[in-house]
Amino acid sequence: MLKVLVFLPVVGAVLLAVLPARRALPLWQVAMAFALASLGYALWLATRFEPAGAAVQMFESRAWNVRLGSYFALGVDGISLAMVLLTALLSLIAVLVSRRMEQGARLYFMLVLLLESAMFGVFTARDWSLFYVFWEATLLPLFFLIDRLGGPNRQRAALNFFLYTLGGSVFMLVALLFLYDAAPGHSFAMADMAEGGRGLPLNTQLLIFAGLFIGFGVKMPVFPLHGWLPLAHVEAPSPVSILLSGVLLKMGAYGLIRAAETLPAALLATQDWLAILAFISLLYGGILAWRQQDLKAMVAYSSISHMGVVLLGIATLNVTGLTGAVVQMVAHGLTAATLFLVVGLLYQRTHSRDLADYGSVLGKAPRFAFFTAFGLLAAIGLPGSAGFIAELHVLVAGYTRWGGWVLLLGVAMLVGAAYSLRAIGRLCLKGETMDLPDMTRTETLCGGLLAACILVLGLWPAPLLELIAGSVGRVAGLFGG
Amino acid sequence: MSALLNHLPNWVWLVPALPLLVVVINGARVLLGLASGDAAEPLTARLSSLAAFGGLVLLLAIDGLALLHGAPGHRRLGHWFGTGNWEATFSFMLDPLSLTMGTLTALIGWLVIRFSANYLHREAGFHRFFIALSFFLAGIQLVLLAGNGLLAFVGWEMCGVSSFLLIGYAWHRPVATGNALFAFITNRGGDAGFLLGLGLAATWLGGFEWTALSQASKISVVNDRLLVIGFVIAALAKSAQLPFSAWISRALEGPTPSSAIFYGAVMIHAGVYLMLRLEPLLVQVPDVMFGLVVAGLLTAIYAWLCGLVQTDVKSALIFATLFQVSLMFVAIGLGWTTLALVHLCLHAAWRIWQFLLAPSWLAITRDRPPPPPAWLRHNQLLYTIALQRFWLDKLSHTLLVEPTESFSRDVRALEEHFIDHAIGQPGQGKAVHADRPLVVADGLPGRVLAAVSDVLQHIEYRLLLRGKGGMAEKLMHRAGAYLRTLEHLLEQPRYLMMAVMATFVVIL
Repeated sequence: MLKVLVFLPVVGAVLLAVLPARRALPLWQVAMAFALASLGYALWLATRFEPAGAAVQMFESRAWNVRLGSYFALGVDGISLAMVLLTALLSLIAVLVSRRMEQGARLYFMLVLLLESAMFGVFTARDWSLFYVFWEATLLPLFFLIDRLGGPNRQRAALNFFLYTLGGSVFMLVALLFLYDAAPGHSFAMADMAEGGRGLPLNTQLLIFAGLFIGFGVKMPVFPLHGWLPLAHVEAPSPVSILLSGVLLKMGAYGLIRAAETLPAALLATQDWLAILAFISLLYGGILAWRQQDLKAMVAYSSISHMGVVLLGIATLNVTGLTGAVVQMVAHGLTAATLFLVVGLLYQRTHSRDLADYGSVLGKAPRFAFFTAFGLLAAIGLPGSAGFIAELHVLVAGYTRWGGWVLLLGVAMLVGAAYSLRAIGRLCLKGETMDLPDMTRTETLCGGLLAACILVLGLWPAPLLELIAGSVGRVAGLFGG
Repeated sequence: MSALLNHLPNWVWLVPALPLLVVVINGARVLLGLASGDAAEPLTARLSSLAAFGGLVLLLAIDGLALLHGAPGHRRLGHWFGTGNWEATFSFMLDPLSLTMGTLTALIGWLVIRFSANYLHREAGFHRFFIALSFFLAGIQLVLLAGNGLLAFVGWEMCGVSSFLLIGYAWHRPVATGNALFAFITNRGGDAGFLLGLGLAATWLGGFEWTALSQASKISVVNDRLLVIGFVIAALAKSAQLPFSAWISRALEGPTPSSAIFYGAVMIHAGVYLMLRLEPLLVQVPDVMFGLVVAGLLTAIYAWLCGLVQTDVKSALIFATLFQVSLMFVAIGLGWTTLALVHLCLHAAWRIWQFLLAPSWLAITRDRPPPPPAWLRHNQLLYTIALQRFWLDKLSHTLLVEPTESFSRDVRALEEHFIDHAIGQPGQGKAVHADRPLVVADGLPGRVLAAVSDVLQHIEYRLLLRGKGGMAEKLMHRAGAYLRTLEHLLEQPRYLMMAVMATFVVIL
């Protein structure tokens, strides 16, 4: 079943490559059809999933390289299913919002569909070698997306991004090989490796975890491995920023949770260090975001800050914190997508990302004003938005583990409120008005879809919490709660 | 049928809920602009009176049940909120005390609403008046029927707010709004006592339920005294006993029906009710009871003397009321609670009639009011004291208002000169960096944030692979140079040969 999900977008990409169309619209329609089909299929899979059932469901495995012990194994648990749904939704948004694209449309849609397929692969792989293949497979479409379609500094950004993440994944690969070597059975299957990894002595576990953490930390990103992010986000075309910050960053956090399952002793030993890194990321990203006058750079840095919440949640290693981390992964995916969508559309119209070049859009473009304000407020984690549920969970869990230190999270939120309100004050409140064509119907649909998801998850988070409860409970169980 | 009757006490929440519902409906009508002109008046009045009548009928039915089968007592209808060892509930107390007072109040409320419909015809604030009055009815019934202190406190506050709204009914007159504020603030002083009592009750008695008060004997006398004093302050403030008496004479600014129900008949007795409710606690602390007697007696003297020299009918009535209420406090202080309750009911019924009649008093009697008695006229000191109402207003002004005002001035100055600068003010920020005019910061936190962000930006540029000439780039360059040299050396035949030989050695 999951095979279909993973390879459906590839079929779309191939179809797009051979489609004899001169104009961009038919290409867009085909890409839309496949993105919609993927989302529909993912939703159908979600209805088939039983939260209270087995740990890994819809599992299918086929020997890939018998000599090496690697398998083509796919399966989902609650956490990966949530990520799959997020991927499908944001890919759809990325295609939907590019309706007007003329230049390089064929390349763009192909690459987005390939990227979607690779992301599905990362989240559904149940074999570390397969995971690694898909992980690397996301790099190629992204490299070309940034390099071909990005802003003025795109080549440097693309190279920077590629080198950083490749450097990270080399460490990851070495760590995986170590693990493969150290674990008995010589198999890459996640279940086997987890069993082997748990039996390893603490020092070996720590060494392997360090390698994995560098790989995942670059992607997530965690201070000080975040150097690629601001440049890549700023230079990437907006729909790609949506995917980059909405889904790609979550791959790092997702991998970290999987690593936690495999190497519990290492996680327990480094718990406090992870929290320190999380707090530094939170403040570092927040303060640098506050410093930016460039809207896209501001959102990019705020992503670092928000992913700090995820890392903090994972570092608590208890049910509440992990729940908060996963919910924050979803919530940040949605809010960052909303923000990049709005900022990207503004850039499309004005060709400026500098806040000083903008005036109030309230009178001329009320839909812009609404979605900007909504996105920024949701990013602060206002009650009623999905981010609030996540931050609350992390706050509660963090307090039980580290006591008053979670005040730092509060400080980061406060700084977040400061820069968000500055942007809101400039764009969405009364002032010198600027002339701007409002969002079109398609664009409003994109924004509305994301806003609705944020609101629904904020007001009624029960379905998501129920979906991930079983898997989160299983991970937390490894750490005694 | 009998099963239905037995469930009747569980519907007691409707008594305060019905007027609240009417408040919501009438409020919505006013907000939507549906209530304007003569045509809208009957509906407002009828809805209010229907709600009051509904409450009365329900209470009468419960009374009948109580007479047949005994009073239902404490009823817990639902959980409100709570953590750990204490809990706030929706509970109601249906004992003879509550039922008596509740029924009487419902009757008075209904009659007053009926009376007001004509009295306020074509007044500008007709709907506002009925909204505030219904709100008051809901509040006072909550006070009387609540089964726990917290719910009673909610009602207590609702009474305070509606009293404030009705004293300030003629809001365009500065005197009215000033008096409304004065009454409200004095009452807030009492509320502080109520809250203190509630907090102590939660700590020492483990809950807010009135039933928990029967365990008062378990706690020490010192604790009990502190707990009771909180409630006594609240009761003295609400019933305008000394030293809180000054507000009541200024509270008559509102329309007569509201004065009648608030200060003539119902709200002024709320303090007495509270004392009656807390009787199990009171009897533990005779010294506080003695205090009640003293406060009551002093108030009685005050009200009697002032009442003798009043020249307008409402003021004369309010001092008469105050005198009777102070007698009730004396009775409670002496332990005669049943007498106090009977006195209360009779007094309320009599006084409401007098107050409602007050506007037509001149037309009915046509006589001049009797002059103060001769002994008072001849004793200049006493006469002046009575005329000046013991200078309570002035005293409270010099002792409370003026110090508070000057204190607030000082605090404001402190804030303007130091705190505002330290915290920072919106719109006052200075740009952190010349090329980013929108990134502004002010105050101490702002400056700290700006400084930290400077440092972080420095780190970001210097250490990460971004800026030109950064440390990482320099290191890379140096490493690259070494590698180039190495490569260059390796390209020379002698080293190449050496490398090949070395490889062979290793392999062999």
